[in-house]
Amino acid sequence: MSPRINDFTINIATANGTGSQSANLVILHSMYEMGVPVSGKNLFPSNISGLPTWFIIRASDAGYQAPGDFTHIQVMMNKDTWQKDLDKLDPGTVIIYNQDAKLPVERDDCIVLGMPMTKMARSISPKMAKLMANMYYVGALAHILNIEHEAIEKAISQQFGGKEKAIEWNMQAISEGREYAKENWDYETEYLVEKREKDPNTFLIEGNEATALGAIYGGINMLSWYPITPSSSVAESIIAWIPKLREGDDGGTTCAVVQAEDELAAAGMVLGAGWAGGRGMTCTSGPGISLMSEFIGLFYFAEVPGVIWDVNRVGPSTGLPTRTQQGDLSMLYEASHGDTQHIVLIPGTVNECFEFGWRAFDYADRFQTMVFGFGDLDLGMNRWSTEGFEYPDKPMDRGKVIRSKEQMDAISNYGRYRDVDGDGIAYRTLPGSGLDPILYRGTGHDEDGIYSEDPKVYHATMERLRRKIDGARDILPAPIIREEKEKSIGIIFYGSMENTIVEIDDMLEENGLSISTCRVRALPYHSEVQSFIERHEKIIVLEINRDGQLFGILRKELPVHLLSKIHSVAYSDGLPPRAKVYSDMIIDTLDEVEL
Amino acid sequence: MSIMKLNVIDLEKSEYKGGKSSLCPGCGHDQISNVIIQAAWENGIRPEGIAKMSGIGCSSKTPAYFLGKSHGFNTVHGRMPSVTTGANMVNKNLSFLAVSGDGDTASIGIGQFIHAIRRNLDMVYIIENNGVYGLTKGQYSATVEKGSKKKKGAMNEQAPIDLCAMAVNLGCSFVARSFSGSKKQLTALLRAAMSHKGMAIIDVISPCVTFANNDESYKSYNYVKENDEILHIVDYIPHFSPIEAVEVPAGEFKEIKLFDGSTLRLETVGSEHNPNDPVEALRAIHEADREGRHVTGLLYYNPDMKTATETLGLTDTPLMALPDSQLRPSEESLELLNAGFRGN
Repeated sequence: MSPRINDFTINIATANGTGSQSANLVILHSMYEMGVPVSGKNLFPSNISGLPTWFIIRASDAGYQAPGDFTHIQVMMNKDTWQKDLDKLDPGTVIIYNQDAKLPVERDDCIVLGMPMTKMARSISPKMAKLMANMYYVGALAHILNIEHEAIEKAISQQFGGKEKAIEWNMQAISEGREYAKENWDYETEYLVEKREKDPNTFLIEGNEATALGAIYGGINMLSWYPITPSSSVAESIIAWIPKLREGDDGGTTCAVVQAEDELAAAGMVLGAGWAGGRGMTCTSGPGISLMSEFIGLFYFAEVPGVIWDVNRVGPSTGLPTRTQQGDLSMLYEASHGDTQHIVLIPGTVNECFEFGWRAFDYADRFQTMVFGFGDLDLGMNRWSTEGFEYPDKPMDRGKVIRSKEQMDAISNYGRYRDVDGDGIAYRTLPGSGLDPILYRGTGHDEDGIYSEDPKVYHATMERLRRKIDGARDILPAPIIREEKEKSIGIIFYGSMENTIVEIDDMLEENGLSISTCRVRALPYHSEVQSFIERHEKIIVLEINRDGQLFGILRKELPVHLLSKIHSVAYSDGLPPRAKVYSDMIIDTLDEVEL
Repeated sequence: MSIMKLNVIDLEKSEYKGGKSSLCPGCGHDQISNVIIQAAWENGIRPEGIAKMSGIGCSSKTPAYFLGKSHGFNTVHGRMPSVTTGANMVNKNLSFLAVSGDGDTASIGIGQFIHAIRRNLDMVYIIENNGVYGLTKGQYSATVEKGSKKKKGAMNEQAPIDLCAMAVNLGCSFVARSFSGSKKQLTALLRAAMSHKGMAIIDVISPCVTFANNDESYKSYNYVKENDEILHIVDYIPHFSPIEAVEVPAGEFKEIKLFDGSTLRLETVGSEHNPNDPVEALRAIHEADREGRHVTGLLYYNPDMKTATETLGLTDTPLMALPDSQLRPSEESLELLNAGFRGN
């Protein structure tokens, strides 16, 4: 049988806090160095040390980035999950295990390859043996898959840049692992990596870091944050990159960073910054949004710009804090009490994390409202390939801010909340300017910003706010549409599902279905989303949650005659989306529709 | 016709006024609003340079009643400090004048109060403290003394949260207590707070005439007047020539130099109070508390603390006024960044 080339999934079972992440990234990066299309998913616990972690590496010439529905090679390092990890394997799986775990591997139907990894590591450094043991499975995989030595070297130096001793020891461990496998294992490999033309422009980066860089190029000047997985690395990346990328003319810092006492305070700081004419942002996850909701209503009603970046984890409540989901969408769209509606930007790639990272500030200033960025753990904390980020294609949009008496005089009948231009967006002045000051408030206010409980005034204000946000629809990022000639079935999806949709599409086409896709990139949704629905016979709204949250939004906002076309396929178990789960559900749903 | 008096920047007092109050007639808060107007005018602060901040409650409504030429933000309940923090970060040139109440600060907003002090936010934070929630019709707040009784309902059995003691413990750079009925003392303390750089807290006992002005209430006019333990007589001497002459006291006094060059003179009454010593401040608070009295004056002062924005090393230009060129890195920088990620 000829080996499978660049088309397999490796599952590595370890415990967190044992240094396995470095080993896993070395495998990922070395394959990437060889030009192999590869993706890595870290399934980690909410814990610092000792709980089970799995790292899934998928090589796919087809470009599939989902974790894959099958495991071809299983690496076993964790005693605690040993039997469970073994039990779930399909016959024929290659099992690479640490013999020093001293646990049985009773799977005669699999290919079982052992190595005394800890013992061998002890000969390099008794102290570091536990950490170093991981590098032996790197060596073992390098042997089986035929990963080039040069690629490993490059990945190692990337991982341990500047630490000479670490580079030397880890390279030695990998070489010994490779050598041991070669000498002791009687196994003719079924899986191989093969060098591909690597685009020299590509690199791997986490979505959260891309978001952080986008915010920096967007002119963020106030970051408030409260640590919460999986969003903390957005803030930490901003903190790390700001001094390298920006400095005031006098050498001072151009972005104030405040670690807040809680998410409520973090949102309040963004509000204060936006009110005073700054570009404030905070990053958080679902529980943080829940806490921020009161302030979010004030942003909306007092019309203050600000950016809140939500990296979705699994809810409700504390949920599965280190797993991924698209469960916050409907909450974001209508966060806070009373009638509200917020702009939500939904990146599906690391490039869009960067782009929406800077655009968010422009939209916030332009529409004088709070703008959400909405990603998830999968996109935010895993590494994705990009050809590089693109520089903002236009200068910063600071919106309708009156900065001088001349500008003020040019506006007839100015009032802080008066719709002079007919687009629902009023002009504003900043504290310190002395220009037509008002007392901003969350209570009812008239067009001049004066307290009012007049029913007509309240109603008119709310109608204008609706018009204002509605006016953003076709200015926000348009959907990405891939359309088939047949126009029979259309799939509407969003966010990190982008990384699984191609594989889902291929699986459905294998079943004889012709699929168009439409990736929604912002709420309120673009008019092209509606025309996509109009053009197709049946629409599936595909989501990583239980209730079909975008489906709910569409059902509320679409014209009634389109409602019978749309069907929800929503599924969430905390793991990144696997193609087969969703394609099976889509087929079942379409079958039901036929009946 | 009398000639209107002008302050040091040639403005009449009317330039510092606000809208008509809608609070109950006789409310202590209205007296405080008048003192705010007086202090800002006498200190010659540009009204447009002030940002009025408040939370929710009777007290937090008052920014509508003073400084009508200043921008302001009546935010949400207990969260005024965080909004002030954000605004301060992007515009450190604004003079933040905040008004809160005892419910707003000591209950729902206690966390933000504490953390604003901890950061030494550059602001004046006035607590209009009456021991009850007024807007929701007279429930006890967390600052009500044990044994105090409001007009209706049972006596309070829980120990109070003393916001000044808490502020001293947190190392707040300026902590004072006063009484809305002590116009001269409150004006001098507020003017000093306005001359201070860093967090200045003034806890002002401000009787609620509707729900807790009965004699059994420790925060009623009569009770406070009879039980006011004055630490010292305070006189504020501005760094410019003052509108009214300030007399030199006959007895002992000490002077405190404030950030803007002005002076606060503390005239000894009884024994001398050293406001630089947090232990003395706490002793004064607790001794008065033991006797059911309210100690008023400058409790604690520590001028040697960096403010929140100083700690961060921000640019001299307020961040909100920085040109785009200093906020958006160059196109070349992004090329270098991409190249770095590519390992080139």
